[in-house]
Amino acid sequence: MPGEGPESSIARRASANRPPGHDAVGRGRARLVYVRAMREFLRAALDAALDAGAGYADVRGVEASSELISARGVTVEALDRSESLGFGVRVLADGAWGYAASATLSASEAARVALTALEVARASATARNRPVELADEPVHRATWSTPLQRDPFAVSLEDKLSLLLTSTEAMERVDGVRIGRATMDLNKQRIWLLTSDGTDLDQTIVHVGAGIEATAVTDGEVQQRSYPGSFRGHFEAGGYDVIERMDLVGNSQRTAEEAVALMSAPECPSGTTTLVLDGHQMMLQVHESIGHPTELDRVLGMEAAFAGTSFVGVGDLGSFRYGSEHVNIQSDATTPGGLGTYGFDDEGVEAQRVDLVREGILVGFQTSRETAAAGGQSRSNGTMRAEGWENFPLIRMPNVNLLPGSGSLEELISEVDEGVYMATNKSWSIDDKRKNFQFGCEIGWAIKRGKLTRIVKNPRYTGITPVFWGSCEAVAGPEEWRVQGTPNCGKGQPGQTMRVGHGTSPARFHNVSVGTSQ
Amino acid sequence: MTAAERGGVPVEHEVARRTAESVLDLPGADEVEVVVVGARTGLTRYARSEIIQNTVRSDVRAYVRVAVGGRVATSVTTQLEPEHVKRTAAGALEAARAARPDPEWPGLPSPQDVGVAEGLWRYDEGTAAAAPAVRAQEVEGILTAAEVDNAAGIFETSAHSFSVVSSAGMDCADAHTRCVTICLVDTGDATGWGEESSHELGGVDAQGAARRALAKATRAAEPESAPAGRYEVVLEPAAVATLMEYLSYCGMGAKQVIEGESFLCGKQGSALASPAVTVADDVRHERSVGMGFDFEGVPKRRVAVLDKGVATGPVTDWRTARKLGAEPTGHYSGSAQFGPYASHLVLEPGEHSLEELIGGVDDGFLVTRFHYVNILDRPSTLLTGMTRDGTFRIRKGVVEGSVHNFRFAHRVLDALASVSGVGRDLVAFAPDYGSFGCTVAPSLRIEDFNFASTTSH
Repeated sequence: MPGEGPESSIARRASANRPPGHDAVGRGRARLVYVRAMREFLRAALDAALDAGAGYADVRGVEASSELISARGVTVEALDRSESLGFGVRVLADGAWGYAASATLSASEAARVALTALEVARASATARNRPVELADEPVHRATWSTPLQRDPFAVSLEDKLSLLLTSTEAMERVDGVRIGRATMDLNKQRIWLLTSDGTDLDQTIVHVGAGIEATAVTDGEVQQRSYPGSFRGHFEAGGYDVIERMDLVGNSQRTAEEAVALMSAPECPSGTTTLVLDGHQMMLQVHESIGHPTELDRVLGMEAAFAGTSFVGVGDLGSFRYGSEHVNIQSDATTPGGLGTYGFDDEGVEAQRVDLVREGILVGFQTSRETAAAGGQSRSNGTMRAEGWENFPLIRMPNVNLLPGSGSLEELISEVDEGVYMATNKSWSIDDKRKNFQFGCEIGWAIKRGKLTRIVKNPRYTGITPVFWGSCEAVAGPEEWRVQGTPNCGKGQPGQTMRVGHGTSPARFHNVSVGTSQ
Repeated sequence: MTAAERGGVPVEHEVARRTAESVLDLPGADEVEVVVVGARTGLTRYARSEIIQNTVRSDVRAYVRVAVGGRVATSVTTQLEPEHVKRTAAGALEAARAARPDPEWPGLPSPQDVGVAEGLWRYDEGTAAAAPAVRAQEVEGILTAAEVDNAAGIFETSAHSFSVVSSAGMDCADAHTRCVTICLVDTGDATGWGEESSHELGGVDAQGAARRALAKATRAAEPESAPAGRYEVVLEPAAVATLMEYLSYCGMGAKQVIEGESFLCGKQGSALASPAVTVADDVRHERSVGMGFDFEGVPKRRVAVLDKGVATGPVTDWRTARKLGAEPTGHYSGSAQFGPYASHLVLEPGEHSLEELIGGVDDGFLVTRFHYVNILDRPSTLLTGMTRDGTFRIRKGVVEGSVHNFRFAHRVLDALASVSGVGRDLVAFAPDYGSFGCTVAPSLRIEDFNFASTTSH
């Protein structure tokens, strides 16, 4: 049973070396002992898998800590801390994958989990048409960490709560606002990966997020306005300094006033028009209609039953027109601040930056070692990640970025005679091939003769992915380009949630179907 | 691990109780609650008619909630060793001390307040003990039944245990097992879908689900385009279940009602749906799978959120019940931010077969299921999403050929208000994410449903 047994336990060492309420597993010599013990433990699991006949094996240990705070009005609505420690063994045997995972870190459990992974792989092989092959990857022995200016877990809870409550109270002082809510999410993961190829990695990844949200309510109508983004705010890899730069307090009143203004605003007119999207909505647009369709596991049909497939195929590489010449997309696991930034992915492939769409033409997919080999590519571009120790790694977007064009948002708008500017994602829906989509935003502004005019509410738009991207007239320049992130990308069975990044600028599209009747 | 060991509950209540007792008298804390959740899951995933991923995992979490002076915080760990749990509890206490006093904190519920919770124990040891080879054999059977070289889906067996122990006297446990099969068949120009779930392996016919998926895909061959518009529709159980789950998101919980964001606000006692429609949260329904109490140990009660079409909800937890002056219904979600949640919905069956429902449609569509649904407007229950894996034209009561997928944009309550027939074909659905929840739904015939746009394909 979990937590039982007299054997040397990594978890016990972790606990003994940990100050209450902090994720850091001890300091100095105690920390070193713990880390050595973890590596020895993972090595034992790897050896057990190989001794039992695995053709390939990797063992991943994950220690994760999080702190989630939600403030509403003058109260702390939720203050949740979480610590997770466990390991997973992935093996290839008889040409098929097996994966087993456990939170019990004892010597006997290392062997049991390794043997279970073998048992699973051999069962898988009975319904396997062709053996799994892996693209080659150099052996890596390295450590990697998210650059931090200010450790978010070292900041006092009092300071964090003060920031959030000052913001919520400011929002609720605005007439018409029923709820002012502020949230903060801090996550830290230490990931060890040992593979039978000889790769030996130790990475520490830190993500932070925060945001505010004002809700106005009248008879049967609810309108919300968020800052810097919806769904718990803005997320980046980095330290508490990221949150401090958001200036939540300074934006509270404006955010609240916009929520109230939406209540009396007219509905977004329906029709076909020119559409300008802010960087936050562009994040979701890229995520759903380019990020997911260019995951090679989807393209190859491996996600068909749950998330779906893709409207593009392997044969489209190098020729399919995905968008206009303004559309340049990269998968980049090296983007500073990105939620998909790391040194190596969860099967030990080095982080890379590759083109997915170049001047509108599809030129790349996001790959794993298995799918790269299946797709005839010599090397994975390193996008395999798993949620925690519990899960089998999948192809997950690292940072799928829309490269900047030129000019400011103001210049994008100034060239529009009539259209709509929409900001901050509110809803999303797309078909199982990622071709037919509808998005909704929190707020819109009508554009008349190059200027933003009245606010419109419930703005939505629909499109066909390659048609929509084909209508891209302009992408704003580097001065408008921001790294954003979504912390809740779902994929796989069992379902996994991943934090992924997107660098985007505002962009302009013509002949888009907009309105509230979409 | 032997089959017998595999069949035991993931965390015995005695282990959970010992874990909790190590921190219930935490110095400096007014109240302490420990929820221990264990799971052992085996999931075999196939695509392109071969197994592509196959996982077995053992998971345990201890959630420690601490209150001091009306200030509350929670800390979670995956390690049940006493010293680790003590550190976790100390972390929660440190956080609680930093929080602000909550004037509406009702204290932890006690058995004297809410009654003694009893487990449902929908637990099948054979399901809990299912080995990887058993799941692989089931997949082989699915692939044989599916006939094509492009079938995808899962076969999953799992065991789950829950214990709640608190300084207020809560001491309860429950466990359940689950078996889920999903099969998508792709014939090249069309797809079909089959799905079954039960608390026991023997309650799932995996090959039957595969044959239904194949039949759907075969029937859906050579789809034609059809214009968007408002139509009479028959929604099969999978489509109905999705609408019910999103209706729950739209505000069946008392916290959403209190905050003014629910479709139930100001509608108590009003007729919101057809009298043929009763939607209840009822974990004790014979087809449902779950535990008999919530994450505070409060016994779950059946709550008819819509009773013969009339709004009678919402579901509550201890906190919101106290605020509303109502009885707690045992629906705490485990999230203080979200509050109570209706996770075990049952739409009560009617008298009609699916064929009878279709037979009553003059000109409309049959929908197998929906994909990627999202909320456009919560208070009005306006949703959007796509049809998927088999959408068929119905003319004069007969299913004709298939059509390309539609995007719908429609209010769930409007759909339920125009129900003209309820099927007797109840089907249970497991949640897409996590192990909590179950939706039981029949087919529905709906007189007016808005397909907002057609699709490119």
